[in-house]
Amino acid sequence: MFKPERFIEETVSKLRKEIKGKAIIAFSGGVDSTVAAALTNKAIGDRLTAVHVDTGYMRKNESREVKDLMDEMGLNYRFIDAKEEYYKALEKIEDPEEKRRIIGEKFIRIFERIAEEEKVEYLIQGTIAPDWIESGDQLRDTIKSHHNVGGLPEYMKLKLVEPLRDLYKDEVRKIARILKLPVAERQPFPGPGLAIRVIGAATREKTEIVREACAIVEEEIDRAVKNNEMTYPWQYFAVLLPIRTVGVHGDKRAYGYTIAIRAVESIDAMTCNYSHIPHNVLDRISTRITNELGDRVNRIVYDITNKPPGTVEWE
Amino acid sequence: MVRIYVIDNGGQWTHREWRTLRDLGVETRILPNTTPFNIIEKERVDGLILSGGAPRMGLQSELGNCGEYLEKSSFPILGICAGHQYIARFFGGEVKPSKIPEFGKIELEILESDDEIFKDIPRRIIAWESHNDEVTKMPSNFIHLAKSENCLIQAMKHRDKAIYGLQFHPEVEHTEYGEKIFENFIEICRQY
Repeated sequence: MFKPERFIEETVSKLRKEIKGKAIIAFSGGVDSTVAAALTNKAIGDRLTAVHVDTGYMRKNESREVKDLMDEMGLNYRFIDAKEEYYKALEKIEDPEEKRRIIGEKFIRIFERIAEEEKVEYLIQGTIAPDWIESGDQLRDTIKSHHNVGGLPEYMKLKLVEPLRDLYKDEVRKIARILKLPVAERQPFPGPGLAIRVIGAATREKTEIVREACAIVEEEIDRAVKNNEMTYPWQYFAVLLPIRTVGVHGDKRAYGYTIAIRAVESIDAMTCNYSHIPHNVLDRISTRITNELGDRVNRIVYDITNKPPGTVEWE
Repeated sequence: MVRIYVIDNGGQWTHREWRTLRDLGVETRILPNTTPFNIIEKERVDGLILSGGAPRMGLQSELGNCGEYLEKSSFPILGICAGHQYIARFFGGEVKPSKIPEFGKIELEILESDDEIFKDIPRRIIAWESHNDEVTKMPSNFIHLAKSENCLIQAMKHRDKAIYGLQFHPEVEHTEYGEKIFENFIEICRQY
């Protein structure tokens, strides 16, 4: 059986031996990078600097919350606002793998810049098993390039350290609980963020729509869980489809986008079934999204695909 | 401690097989399917798992060095998905593209519930699949152990050797009794 206490002990001592000078960690504020940061922090203390990049594709209020988290954990950190840079690079990109590649490469270039300023040699990442499995290799087909593996450029100056490489999310959560990290139960969120929840080009305008829709899904599910109507799915969010359909808004024709709601149950993300969310909850989500987003969205669908054959995120 | 290694044929769930074995207290490693048999032999393993993978066994014939392992091994071998299909081909059976491929959830019907690999498992379980090809003709010296609605040869075993093939994936969380099937295979390796 996986023993989190032993893993913590062994990993901290391994990191202490391996990292001679200073290191930065790619810090999204999710469970994986937060656990990797906490372990590295135990190993090398303030020789570690966390770097959070606000790509513009984060969820509502997310980057502010990440700042609070870094403060709470007592990390040295750099907060990089790269919104404009990312929007500009992605505004015309439709292919999902191309999006992932651009996002991954930009991350690394930013980390390299910071590393040079801070005189750092090592880059820590919270990569876990499904990230490299799905990214593919000589033997394995590429399902999707996770930004922190398949999105990495071929040439990079920093030495990569990935202490969680052999773990799955359920094991990372066990460590997070022992370390009493507030993000232990947080739902997974992909590194490329909302850019892969907009099917087609993730323009600023469409990103705002999906950001709002994701926030509504999260709020309504929080509420339903509080009311004992359901338990938290493994992951739950909205996807903006490039399909427009006809609707009627206040006796007038509407022609807006479609939002797909996705929620799945899993232990390790390697197989998933779609969540059986009560219809009442879906109903509230549907009504709120269509009302609050006005003429931009007028149709909501619910994704009933398992993994396999689907994957959790649409891209 | 039982030592069972996982031969990596490039599957999405190869690492899950490793994890399941490790969680059950087995000494385990993942080795690429290009590993020569003599290296595996030197490691004194008690059993091998041949993982699934993207290679289309219905369209191509080789799967790394898996043939060498089947030919030379004196220990139990469990093939999963592409590993299972390769075993069928190796012993003279046939593998073809499935008429109706299976992805995700299916109902598995166990035909030989007395067999050690299915010990203490109900006759009908939910199992998860992910395959484009399947065994269309079982080798003559094999016993048919399980089926599903759209795929007849879901599980089989060699009549005389401890060589098993499963089309479905016992290593994923969503397969019921998957861990029990692993425990049974570990027991088969321990007693061999």
